[in-house]
Amino acid sequence: MSTLPTQDRPVVPETGGTRFSSLPVSPVDVVRCTVFSAAGQGLDAMADALFRGSVTGREPDGGVTPGEYPPRLDLLALPDFVPADTLGRKGLNRLTRTDQLASVACAVALRELPRQAAAVEPDETGIVLGTSVGSTRRVGEFIRDTFAEERPYFVNPSHFPGVLMNSAAGRAAIHLGLTGLNSTVSGGPLAGLHALRFARNALLAGHARRLLTGAFEELSPQRAWAWHRSQGLAAGVPLGEGGAVLVLEPSGGREGGPRPLARLLACEVGFADPKSGLPSVSRRLANCIRTALVRSGVAPEDVAVAVPGAAGRGGWAMVEELALREVFPRGGTSGPVERLTIQPVLGETDSANGALQLAATLARWQDGRNATEHERAAVITSISPDGSVGCAVVLQPPLDRE
Amino acid sequence: MPDLGGRRVVVTGIGAVSSLGMGARNFIAAIRAGRSGIGPIGQFDATGFEHVLAGEVRGFSPSTYLHRISPEEWGRSSQFAAAAARMAVDDAGLGSPKLSSLRTASCFGTTNGESQLLEDLGEQWVFRGPEHLDPRLVHQIDAGRISAAVNVELGLTGEALTLGTACAAGNYSVGYAYDLISSGEVDVALCGGADASNRATHAGFHRLGALAADVPRPFDEHRDGIVTAEGGAALLLEPLESALERDARVYAEVLGYAMSCDAQHMTNPHAPSIAACIKRAHRNSGIKPADVGYICAHGTGTEANDATEIAAVREAFDGRVPPISSIKSVLGHTMGAAAAFGAVVSCAALHEGFLPASSTLRTVDPELGPDVDCVPRVSREERLRVVENHGFAFGGNNAVTIFGDIAA
Repeated sequence: MSTLPTQDRPVVPETGGTRFSSLPVSPVDVVRCTVFSAAGQGLDAMADALFRGSVTGREPDGGVTPGEYPPRLDLLALPDFVPADTLGRKGLNRLTRTDQLASVACAVALRELPRQAAAVEPDETGIVLGTSVGSTRRVGEFIRDTFAEERPYFVNPSHFPGVLMNSAAGRAAIHLGLTGLNSTVSGGPLAGLHALRFARNALLAGHARRLLTGAFEELSPQRAWAWHRSQGLAAGVPLGEGGAVLVLEPSGGREGGPRPLARLLACEVGFADPKSGLPSVSRRLANCIRTALVRSGVAPEDVAVAVPGAAGRGGWAMVEELALREVFPRGGTSGPVERLTIQPVLGETDSANGALQLAATLARWQDGRNATEHERAAVITSISPDGSVGCAVVLQPPLDRE
Repeated sequence: MPDLGGRRVVVTGIGAVSSLGMGARNFIAAIRAGRSGIGPIGQFDATGFEHVLAGEVRGFSPSTYLHRISPEEWGRSSQFAAAAARMAVDDAGLGSPKLSSLRTASCFGTTNGESQLLEDLGEQWVFRGPEHLDPRLVHQIDAGRISAAVNVELGLTGEALTLGTACAAGNYSVGYAYDLISSGEVDVALCGGADASNRATHAGFHRLGALAADVPRPFDEHRDGIVTAEGGAALLLEPLESALERDARVYAEVLGYAMSCDAQHMTNPHAPSIAACIKRAHRNSGIKPADVGYICAHGTGTEANDATEIAAVREAFDGRVPPISSIKSVLGHTMGAAAAFGAVVSCAALHEGFLPASSTLRTVDPELGPDVDCVPRVSREERLRVVENHGFAFGGNNAVTIFGDIAA
């Protein structure tokens, strides 16, 4: 086989996203959301921070030693995260911070399900989490030990499971005794949308009846140095941590259930090789958004707010913005589509972005100060430097038809 | 799914980047002949380890298999996935242009993602300091790149999903691909798994006491652990109608799959949960236990796994254990690719009519109970109608896929 020199790459044909399935999608209900962000725990704290446009900055806790983090990198750690309150003290240090975030969030989400929510068997309840590489701190420290110890295998055996990407989902399942499907998806900034899409598919294909779906990212020196060295953060955006878990169930499964916080419709994911030029990535995202709207039965003028994902990545915000402008032209027939941009306030959270963007949408709709009760739909978008793009469509349920 | 649900799904292409050879033909031939791919570690410095064997892909030359992605820009796991995917496409007789014109998705599983790049960064951190991390490598470490590499290599614009469900991930990916095609979401899906041999994984299993003294001996009375391994495996799935329409060679039909979680312990497998997963897979596939003629086992060769797996099979099959064997006896444990290699072998077993051997088996462990046919030492000719493929993982992630003979 011959190889093509890179400069003679064949141009990938520009194919419309419309080639991908335009079948209407079945809706999925967002029954509950538990969020941890730089604003603290919960949607109200998040809504406050987004309303004010700022949070009280916190240095990372959990035994930070001076000089552990790169100089001149703005950090936003979670305030008041005390995992022992939920998980107990026993064996807590075996868990990575990502394990702890996911386990506590899943526990709180189940505990706080509305009273009318149906009982679902543990083997029909599952967990789907997004990640980039898992716990950055644990991976880094484990590899360090293989080099730094007297023998390469003098690692801590109880730290080994936490090196794996699926550790957080597995730990959360153990804590809650959930024996239904348990999945972990990767994909950097797309991971949150990948998780939503995977969960939608699994619910509609009958693999589970209730899925705790989300993504979490921990602040760690390893992650901070990686960002620092790659100079990837957009100006003015701190490095953050946190994530959210959404309790998802197929819509209309039961009469008399609680009113959902929101309805998740199409979640479309596509791909464009960044080497074929950033405009083609923009166009692929625009196609994704259009397809997602068509499949959701939502017209562009029904969309009140767009919640972008790339604002924390230098150079990528504009690629995403161009796609949004292509679908929602300014001065078009519809009113302006507002942007709800969370990364400058809550920090860049890598694989947790998508889950936090969805949480921010729910926070906005719960917050009485924004006069958002007439907003019908939001789009959540995501873009990865590796070429994946995605869009999820979320509906605010009608307030008057209980 | 109401609208278009229930399209039948078949496998028409397979690809393998393995210690047993390149390409599905060579890989399957080696499996049938019982050749071993296990040898001395070469992918990392094994100084200081007491166990120094691994199943590594030797002499992998990216430029031989990859037209568009370059080794400077993509890690070894991504290269494995992209190469295996291209092989599967060629094997299916679908050219790249044809593929780009169809609605195509890629989904690949992995345990450790781009572990060698993480290891390189770890080494820089330890010996030079974090201020010397190579930014070029930082851009390449996300595990999501494994499926992205497949899309770049083949010029695809559809979904690229990487599943991080550890050593069951290959089966998760086959299952997800099956759902996408069955529901009408896409027309073609490339799925499989990839992982690279690396220091941290070897150290972890070493420290757990899970590494074999020499070769792995799944189901053997004196089995003593796994041998770490690497590779990439890919399957091309499409609807039955399109395969018939283009007169494609059909290896097998994907009848269905199921997933479950132990929710007990991070590293010890749990028989009841595995049994529940098997039963659910049978139900989802519309088959009865008696239909299954062969099980391609997870079969790691550790004390706990093999005993638990046989116990789970007994429970799910009402006491009868179908012929069951482990290709890890010659391949080693390829982690996120393991269940995908199992899926490839399951398809070949149906298509060619053979039972792969547990090649290194000497004496079946009597503790496994009566009437266990682990296909000892040599593979056997046998026509099969339904094959079951197992994938279990740390974190308690289980997935079972079911393949059927299209003529059955």
